[in-house]
Amino acid sequence: MAPLEAPVEKWTGKIRELKLGSGGRKTITVGGGTTLPFVKFEGAQPHRPAIAIEVQDKEPTDWSEFLVSAWGDALKNPGAWAKKAAEFGADLLYIRLASAHPEASNTGAAQAKKSASEVLSAVDLPVIFVGPDVAEKDNEVLVAVSDVAKGQRVGLGNCVEKNYKTIAATCMADGHVAIAKTPIEINLAKQLNILLSDVGLSPDSILMDPTTGALGYGLEYTYSVMERLRLAALMGDGMTSMPMICTAGEESWRQKESKATLDVPQAWGDNQERSLIWENVTAISLLAAGADILVLRHPKTVVTVKAALDKSF
Amino acid sequence: METLSDKPNKIKVVFQPSGKSALVAPGTLVLDAAVQAGVPLDTPCGGQGRCGRCLVRVESGNVFRPQNPHLTAKQVDEGWILSCITQVVGELVVTVPLPKEREKIVVQTAATRKAAAVRCEFPRLPAVRRVYLELPRPSLEDNAGDLERLKRALANTQGIKDVDVVLPIMRTLSRTLREADWKVTITLDTHDKGGVPRLIDVQAGEKKGQLWGAAIDIGTTNVWVDLVDLISGRSAGRASMLNRQVPRGEDVISRIIYSQRDGGLDELRQLVLSAINDLVAELAVGSKIDAREIQSMVVAGNTTMAHFFLGMPARTIREEPYVPGAIFFPVYTAAELGIKINPYASVYTVPAVAAYVGGDISAGAISSCIFRSDKLTLFLDVGTNGEIVMGGADWMTTCACSAGPAFEGAGMRFGVRAAKGAIEDVTINTSTLEPTIRVIGDAEPVGICGSGLISALAEMLLTGVVDRSGRMNVARLQEKARNGKSRARVGDHGVEYVLAWAGETSIGEDIVLTEVDINNLIRTKAAIYAGIAVMARNVGVPLENVEEVLIGGSFGQHINVEKAIQIGLLPDLPWDRFKFLGNTSLSGAYNILMSKHARAQVEEVVGKMTYFELVADASFMDEFTAAMFLPHTEMNRFPSVAALLGDRHESSGTP
Repeated sequence: MAPLEAPVEKWTGKIRELKLGSGGRKTITVGGGTTLPFVKFEGAQPHRPAIAIEVQDKEPTDWSEFLVSAWGDALKNPGAWAKKAAEFGADLLYIRLASAHPEASNTGAAQAKKSASEVLSAVDLPVIFVGPDVAEKDNEVLVAVSDVAKGQRVGLGNCVEKNYKTIAATCMADGHVAIAKTPIEINLAKQLNILLSDVGLSPDSILMDPTTGALGYGLEYTYSVMERLRLAALMGDGMTSMPMICTAGEESWRQKESKATLDVPQAWGDNQERSLIWENVTAISLLAAGADILVLRHPKTVVTVKAALDKSF
Repeated sequence: METLSDKPNKIKVVFQPSGKSALVAPGTLVLDAAVQAGVPLDTPCGGQGRCGRCLVRVESGNVFRPQNPHLTAKQVDEGWILSCITQVVGELVVTVPLPKEREKIVVQTAATRKAAAVRCEFPRLPAVRRVYLELPRPSLEDNAGDLERLKRALANTQGIKDVDVVLPIMRTLSRTLREADWKVTITLDTHDKGGVPRLIDVQAGEKKGQLWGAAIDIGTTNVWVDLVDLISGRSAGRASMLNRQVPRGEDVISRIIYSQRDGGLDELRQLVLSAINDLVAELAVGSKIDAREIQSMVVAGNTTMAHFFLGMPARTIREEPYVPGAIFFPVYTAAELGIKINPYASVYTVPAVAAYVGGDISAGAISSCIFRSDKLTLFLDVGTNGEIVMGGADWMTTCACSAGPAFEGAGMRFGVRAAKGAIEDVTINTSTLEPTIRVIGDAEPVGICGSGLISALAEMLLTGVVDRSGRMNVARLQEKARNGKSRARVGDHGVEYVLAWAGETSIGEDIVLTEVDINNLIRTKAAIYAGIAVMARNVGVPLENVEEVLIGGSFGQHINVEKAIQIGLLPDLPWDRFKFLGNTSLSGAYNILMSKHARAQVEEVVGKMTYFELVADASFMDEFTAAMFLPHTEMNRFPSVAALLGDRHESSGTP
């Protein structure tokens, strides 16, 4: 009897390679895979998924006490926070310009430039900047940041179906990468990539954010959409083959399992441990789904996810 | 605020400019008062305060009006109210804004119409026939009764052994026979299968010439009547008008909601009945006949329309598990139904397939001849909904997509039917982005019809006026402004593109296409294309294997295949595979009117079709979202359009 041969899938497509960082800044390349994540006997996965740590330009008011104690006073200053994130092992930083939100401090271009400069001079890691996810404010602050970071190939986001032209244009002008965010739906993800390409942005300068559902809050939904995006790309679809970024930290720390500290049922176990498990499981699952960049919040999660990657990559 | 219950007496509500009025109890909705006064108000949403279209202005008097987001502060100041949610408090005078066109009857005579779109042939065998009889005069040797004498002659000359006679004819039979000196022409109705023929008309002497019948299509948006000579098969004229139910809801769902109001169902029945009767009367006058000479009628309509026509409640069509009151409808007489033709004439309602695939589609399956085809055929009926039949002689599957009435011009800012004054074609200059329009009847435009909407959207896509998600490139358009006038602007209804300036129109208003309209169109075309795609996948046939695409529907004769493919409404197949059949529901009703074989066939076809419920199909939403793009998210499904757009993305199917 002939020995059983394991079936090997032959893919014709490839995930696009995407480089962040330039002009004296460290660079990082993600994507480039010719197989589903970690299925290395079917193809190559040349670049290890990267870990980004989330930094905000204003001290968060709604963060869990476990996050606050882990970061300490660094939370008060984006430059210091960025530095500490680098020390905690971030491959790159994900800077949320939260102060520009109309319901926060409603800051504008000037503050955005100041925060961006502080971060950019504090660390030499690659950086992604995202606005407050309010169209008008996003356009204002991201154009300002784009100018400050010109030539350093940072990521700028979020482009959404209703607001992508300004951000795409500034990315093209200043050589940056656009983050294309869509609400957990494969067609919408592809459509936004097409719209961005149609205005002239290179498909190699797009990072997809398929929107993360945390553990218990749509993780399996995100997982299946990401998996379908990867399958489409590997089958040769050039408009779904952009690398993906997942905001695992933000989403898992929003859930009550991470936030609750009072009157928690005993069966839920230790509060801090549970919060960390929530972020860990969300993050590691998304790696398996095809995330190329994970955005995390807690330094301990960074350690755990990196250890997992060391074993499996 | 006054309470509504402490005024016991009836209150007078006057509607201007007609001056019609109604006496109503306090607390009555202004809309109900309008219905009572016989004043038509548009309630496209079925009277739920959702669409903001049933506006009237209070001139004097008291009302109780809940807040509603559809009214601007300015409108509230000016006294505008939504009649479907506003209650009468005191004596009231309101002004009803003048309705747009619409009530008009459009008549096509045989002379003005292109050749009839009858595609499928059946042996001619109408269910009614005329027989001339010469009876022997009674005598002492032959003293049989008058009816027995008539029956005997029928048996001897026609082999017809028995006949039923309605009472009023029975009461006049003896006199008629004698006055006619025993030479009469009778009309027999054989609609009931296997039953005894019914005597429905007796005329003195030998009647030659036409024997009249009428084929009816009750569309959700338009009602059509074809007046037919059952002997020659020739149409003496077709007439259509807006279904008078439209102001009570633009789609079947809104209309079912309306029908659940007190008296709503009967009102809807009366509205469609009056439209049919008016159209029949108009055609009768045109052919110089009495409408009572019409001896047979066949009615095709979607399941909901058939229910309303018969006065049957349609609530269950709307609610899961979507069960209609009936699929096969019994035959009734015109008198029972309130149709003003020969009162004893039979009215046959074409059977439906399911709650959302109605007799209009069954009729279309007959007239399109798909049931005889040895080719893999796709039959589409694009009306207020899009229904799809796929298959051929061996098998047929069908489904319905709730597309909405956009292609019929309804629900669009300047949408009109395909009639004189409708913009039917649009070309946009690639460099100036200025439109050139073609208007039906070379008139000044009043609005834009389905074919115009399709060509406008296709041109906007190809010239980059809109991006592939249908969003307008306002900045680019404003750069091209001529004499300070830009074709793009932000109007009261959002971003819009001006197709015709006020001065060029006959309505004295700029005719525009808004981004909301465009979104609406994209949703409509996406629903239809997604339905086609899901159906093809369910039966396991690649769409490109479809050998023939037959398109019915009221705009079926006008649309341009090329443009319809460009926007992703129709699959990207060679153009010669598409055939436009016009109103296939009406043609099918004609087939059935002309041939009992066609009737037997439609009843067989209904049983043969496999119905897919798209709502229950998990892949539909996915296909729909993929189709919500121009022409489609998967550009490889539209290679001809990709070539036109100079598509630079290599892309293949999404699993």
